[in-house]
Amino acid sequence: MNLLEVKNLNTSFHIGVGTVQAVRGISFHVEQGESLGIVGESGSGKSVSMLSVMGLLPNYADIVADSIRFDGRELTKLSGKALRAMHGSEIGMIFQDPMTSLNPLFTVESQLTEPLRIHRHMDKRQARQRALELLRQVDIPNPEARLKQYPHELSGGLRQRVMIAIAIACGPKMIIADEPTTALDVTIQAQILELLQHLKQETQTSIIMITHDLGVIASMCSRILVMYGGTICEQGNARDIFYDPRHPYTWGLLNSIPKVQDAPAGKLIPIKGTPPDMLKPPAGCPFSPRCRYCMPVCRAYMPPTTELSDVHRVACHLMHPHAPKITREV
Amino acid sequence: MSSNTLNPEAYASLPDEMFVIGEDDSLSEEIARPSTTYWHDVWQRFRRDRLALIGLGVIVLMTLMCIIMPMVSPYTYDGSDYLHMNASPSWAHPCGTDQLGRDQFIRIMYGARISLTIGFVAAAINFAIGVLYGGLAGYLGGRVDMVLMRIVDILSSLPSLLYIVLIMLIFGSNMGSVILALCFTSWIGTARVVRSEVMYLKHSEYVLASRLAGAGTWHLLIHHLVPNAMGPIIVSTAFLIPGAIFSEAFLSFLGIGIQAPQASWGSLANAAIPVMQMYPHLMLFPVIAICVTMFSFNFIGDGLRDALDPRLKK
Amino acid sequence: MLRYIIKRLLAGVLTMVVLITVAFFMMHAMPGGPFSPSEEKNVPVEVLERIAASYGLDQPVWKQYLNYWNNLLHGDLGISYKTVGTVNEKISGHFPYSARVGGLAVLFSLLIGIPLGLIAALYRGKAADLATLALATVGISVPVFVLSLLLSYLFSSKLNWLPTYGLDSWLCYILLVVCLSLNPIAYIARQTRSSMLEALEQDYVRTARAKGVSELMVVVKHALKNALTPVITYLGPLIAGLLTGSFVVESRFAIPGLGYYFVRSISDRDYTMIMGIVIFFGLFVVICNLVSDILLAIVDPRVKLTND
Repeated sequence: MNLLEVKNLNTSFHIGVGTVQAVRGISFHVEQGESLGIVGESGSGKSVSMLSVMGLLPNYADIVADSIRFDGRELTKLSGKALRAMHGSEIGMIFQDPMTSLNPLFTVESQLTEPLRIHRHMDKRQARQRALELLRQVDIPNPEARLKQYPHELSGGLRQRVMIAIAIACGPKMIIADEPTTALDVTIQAQILELLQHLKQETQTSIIMITHDLGVIASMCSRILVMYGGTICEQGNARDIFYDPRHPYTWGLLNSIPKVQDAPAGKLIPIKGTPPDMLKPPAGCPFSPRCRYCMPVCRAYMPPTTELSDVHRVACHLMHPHAPKITREV
Repeated sequence: MSSNTLNPEAYASLPDEMFVIGEDDSLSEEIARPSTTYWHDVWQRFRRDRLALIGLGVIVLMTLMCIIMPMVSPYTYDGSDYLHMNASPSWAHPCGTDQLGRDQFIRIMYGARISLTIGFVAAAINFAIGVLYGGLAGYLGGRVDMVLMRIVDILSSLPSLLYIVLIMLIFGSNMGSVILALCFTSWIGTARVVRSEVMYLKHSEYVLASRLAGAGTWHLLIHHLVPNAMGPIIVSTAFLIPGAIFSEAFLSFLGIGIQAPQASWGSLANAAIPVMQMYPHLMLFPVIAICVTMFSFNFIGDGLRDALDPRLKK
Repeated sequence: MLRYIIKRLLAGVLTMVVLITVAFFMMHAMPGGPFSPSEEKNVPVEVLERIAASYGLDQPVWKQYLNYWNNLLHGDLGISYKTVGTVNEKISGHFPYSARVGGLAVLFSLLIGIPLGLIAALYRGKAADLATLALATVGISVPVFVLSLLLSYLFSSKLNWLPTYGLDSWLCYILLVVCLSLNPIAYIARQTRSSMLEALEQDYVRTARAKGVSELMVVVKHALKNALTPVITYLGPLIAGLLTGSFVVESRFAIPGLGYYFVRSISDRDYTMIMGIVIFFGLFVVICNLVSDILLAIVDPRVKLTND
């Protein structure tokens, strides 16, 4: 059963000089207990689409969707109050920068018990007990002392663990992790990923993992969406994306991951060019200005989605029967 | 949103030539927005701020008027017309005359000379001291910085009016000592801004990169630190001018600033208080001059701040 | 925390020492002493000398300086040169007036300034925001002496609604408090608005929303607490400035406060009075700054670190 189902989501921002079309008509779903990875470079719309689903964007954002269903409820029709009742209790979020995501003026205890007191109506003592359990659950040593501390007294890794503890405090059905490891040291990254994986196995929570790092996705996610220019260009099981990718952008992403085994001879192939200006996105395929296989049709029309299997879908004109048959060069 | 998608039939029947790789490069789009220089950008943004432009216009006009009017006017600031004392505004005396029959308009113009001179000179001196002091503290860092900043902390922890009043008492009431008094502590804001900018830039990566590329200290100062720290420095200086004008008017209002027969806006307003009930125009015109000037400079300052802050660029 | 307080306290003491020393020697650098023949032309020179000696003015400057410190440490600010009585008596007699009016003005500034800034930030670009910005521009651009002139002309002379001077009824306080607080209101409203706008864009505010915190609590608890830290920093100088009396407003409305008396001492060249009031002001400012520093450290635990 689908825990989350999003149909035709469009998000744009009205700013002084025009309208930025950050997300352009994407549809996807998350199954119960599944971990979905969303990959793409900065500005591809991956974070914005998740924040749109959560309704956490500033009010100059314009969010239009045919439907956003979560756990049988239509979020687009819920009141602000009903949405807030879900935030932090049924959906937990973890953000990229643990340095700025915690409020500097409140103790760990105050911030960690806040969702418990709001959603579970616990009193101070109960919330404190639960907070201690949570800190143990995210492997923070000496939790009693940590509760009294302020964020600036904790290291980045510890802060991210606190963020995770806040996200799982009320036993959510789904966790959205927005680049949870990007701002951390590599060794800490691995620990945090391990922790997330461990928690997922323990609680059977669905996880949406947003990242620009395919390595993170490979270790965590069963299904992957690849986003570019506010659209989904390819999606499928991890196996499809890593072993049978079809979109030239996915190829580019895979070619730019360093591989240990073929160093030093192996060469990283960067994707040339820069992401599109979403104030004036290209008329056709958003990747066309940077694509090595760009055809006239690519500049003129958006590519339709081709279903290669139940789950593997590609939005690329190379799938058209008239298009030349290109295979990925490695 | 999806206006550029085709229905399945139309898509299936697209001609073959649409599916040729690598042709038609002419269509490739320019991705980046045209790049402009920083100062061009600043001017463009400043120009869009209507209030700031009006403020600038008013100040330019006032400067020209206070230079030209006393030269062409038949009246002088201390010349009395005993036939028209306390006269109401008229064609001959647009702002009326005071208790001694002196033309109020010309006195306000002389007041403008004093106020604007003090404003600009004090701001320039404060700018120079602030940049030197802050630059030195920021650039040298360490113990020197600590001592310099402690001095600044002590100076700034007391209301500057105290110092100003004491200095005025020692050096007597004239324009020179007003400027001296105003320069005693007003540079502290600028010095702090400069110091933190220099500190920040000193540790920023592009300065490090430039240093690694072999750039000398002077090259760094002139090509990196100064242009980059310029924005906040200009803004803090822009707000110094109205501050200085305000302080001068305030001192003259208290009677320890500019002395009669010379006139400044503050002393004109002060002189009008006893006769405020009967001849309100004597108070109103100098007060209006002060307010218009303060508004103009504050608008310019706000406009500059918005224009110089690239973080607001969208 | 204790370490931080001691550090701030020491800085305050150092400030006072510097201020007293500078003020003392500035007073002595003043051309024409209080009892110089050039000022008091009708008194025989011998009499003047005797008067000067009775004040200890015939001793060398360094000895006078030490004496001054000695008296100061015993809480004695000296005797007024030009009026009857000690400086201590004068200050304790005039300060309550200033403190009463100033205290009201501080309360008024905070109660009006913070909500205005908050509303402006929440309704950014709307009418409420533009009105607040306009008021703030007026408050920052119009000098207090101009304001007091205009308001007393309009409400007292023309309309006759409010008394021109004195503190006899509560009506007298209206103009005083309005004049004194317009500038602080403008500053506080601007500061609250801009730091509130900044706070609302912070990641931790997004975190709070993601936790399901109600919008009211997001604004009041998570954003406003952060946004008010610059206002707290401003609180020290504000309270000190308003409570010790405004020179202009007190002279304008004839309030027998400390500011009014300071202006009189200046025109009288009553040096011990000027010194005494300057030291009293300085001490008051140092104490207010200390309190606001401690307050800030309580609200924002990071402050203790950056100031170490």
